[in-house]
Amino acid sequence: MSKIACFVEKYNFSDPREEAALYNFKNAAEKAGHQFNFLFRENIAEIPKYNAVFIRATTDPLFTAYIVSKTAWELGLKVVDDPESIKICANKIHQYALFEKYNVPRIPTVFLSKDDLHHKQIKEIFDTLGKPAVIKAPYTSFSRYVEKAACETSFRDVTKRFFKKSDVLAIQKFTPTAFDWRVGVLNNDTLYVCKYMIPKGKWKHGAKLRGKPTVVWGRTVAVGKQKVPERLKEVALKACSVIGKGLYGVDLKEVDGDFVVVEVNDNPSIYAGYEDSKDKDIYQRIINYLSD
Amino acid sequence: MLVVSSIDLKENLRVMKPSKFLASTIKEPTININNDYRYLKTGYYVSLHAEILGNMVIPSCEDIIDSSRTPILLLRAEKAKIPTLPFLVTDSVKKIIAELGLPVVLFAVNPFIHEGYKTAKNKSALYRAMKSLGMNYKFTVCAQPVKGELFSVKSFFGKCQINDEEVCGLAAKVYALFRIPVCKLHVQKVEGKAYLCALQPIDEQELSKSDLEVISREILLISQQGDHLSV
Repeated sequence: MSKIACFVEKYNFSDPREEAALYNFKNAAEKAGHQFNFLFRENIAEIPKYNAVFIRATTDPLFTAYIVSKTAWELGLKVVDDPESIKICANKIHQYALFEKYNVPRIPTVFLSKDDLHHKQIKEIFDTLGKPAVIKAPYTSFSRYVEKAACETSFRDVTKRFFKKSDVLAIQKFTPTAFDWRVGVLNNDTLYVCKYMIPKGKWKHGAKLRGKPTVVWGRTVAVGKQKVPERLKEVALKACSVIGKGLYGVDLKEVDGDFVVVEVNDNPSIYAGYEDSKDKDIYQRIINYLSD
Repeated sequence: MLVVSSIDLKENLRVMKPSKFLASTIKEPTININNDYRYLKTGYYVSLHAEILGNMVIPSCEDIIDSSRTPILLLRAEKAKIPTLPFLVTDSVKKIIAELGLPVVLFAVNPFIHEGYKTAKNKSALYRAMKSLGMNYKFTVCAQPVKGELFSVKSFFGKCQINDEEVCGLAAKVYALFRIPVCKLHVQKVEGKAYLCALQPIDEQELSKSDLEVISREILLISQQGDHLSV
């Protein structure tokens, strides 16, 4: 029997679909004879009492989740997401540099340092990637901090905001598609596949309505993993192989009949009735991995 | 050996600016000198770029992140037998009083505050400090008991310009573990023994002329020894 701590923050329970998924994990663990407790930030000191830690709160090296992950790792516990995966996935600069090094098919990307923001450089970027170009802050998640710019003025405006936090940004080729593929991967194996639809008239899965703070999300359509092209899974697994052996959500786009990686996320969203609707075993498989 | 530095060093050293290094593909053991190694800042990206190139680099990205997250710094230090005091990561005043008592010293564990600390001698001061460092209780803090004299020292390659063997010994051990060439250490001295409390960046204005000379001298020494990076 394994004792599993699931690190969560209060917001993880604010969406009933996520809450249901969290209880699905708990039920799957208990059914297999394991102990599964939700661990909140006030009880971080209890980590040594457990055999494994499963993080569901948003991860970033600057968030409490990293403290939890690294503490568990240093104590020799099994941990998802592990600190190395957090370090690579929370920083898209790190991730794209690895993709470049290991030749992972990806959306054309260039890096821009704070000191290099000048007219000549911006012109060169537009010449290479075309207009508009997508500007991505390294700490992007849930479609936030990703904006497009079609002229130097808006390019400067967006980068100025993103440079406040990070001294390097990623600039990508604008590649509009009707949906992004999302491939869930655990320990170098495909866990689930779905399509994250892009809302009509928008270009990302979670998009703001003009002039309003509300975010509209595209639909999530689960696809049986046997029914998707082998090449899709192959590219997704290759991207994860340069990061680690944890749990990832790989975003890919289909371009000219092939697949390119948009990004790999650690701590992927798992909502009951969405990511799990074609692959009901994902809860059990993640619990088995944690308790192995 | 390649020295990448955001600081203007005094001696006649072959030094490259971070922006130039980030645009290069130089494969050489690298020493990254910066007064601020914070995550997402240039100091971090220099080490990241060196690691991607496959260069041995001081400091590593992992050590940069871990040393700036106080609870991880203390956990790894404790494992390496570097003296530390008990600590608590929490957003609860009650828990701190029950488990550590008063007075306590608090360090921020949030994405925004990276410098300084607050001490609290009584409950109301503790509430104020928690509110401030926790950004209205939104984030946790790292609390440690105050048992002696609390002070800060500048550490350059693990060497301090202070006449105190205990503290110098502590700084050397911290450098051996985390390899942060330029940093500030917060230390407590209790009954003659030095305990590590936190590691933070140094403000550029805090670097005196003699500090720059010390840093330059150390780099020169390392480049002469040559094997420093492979240890």
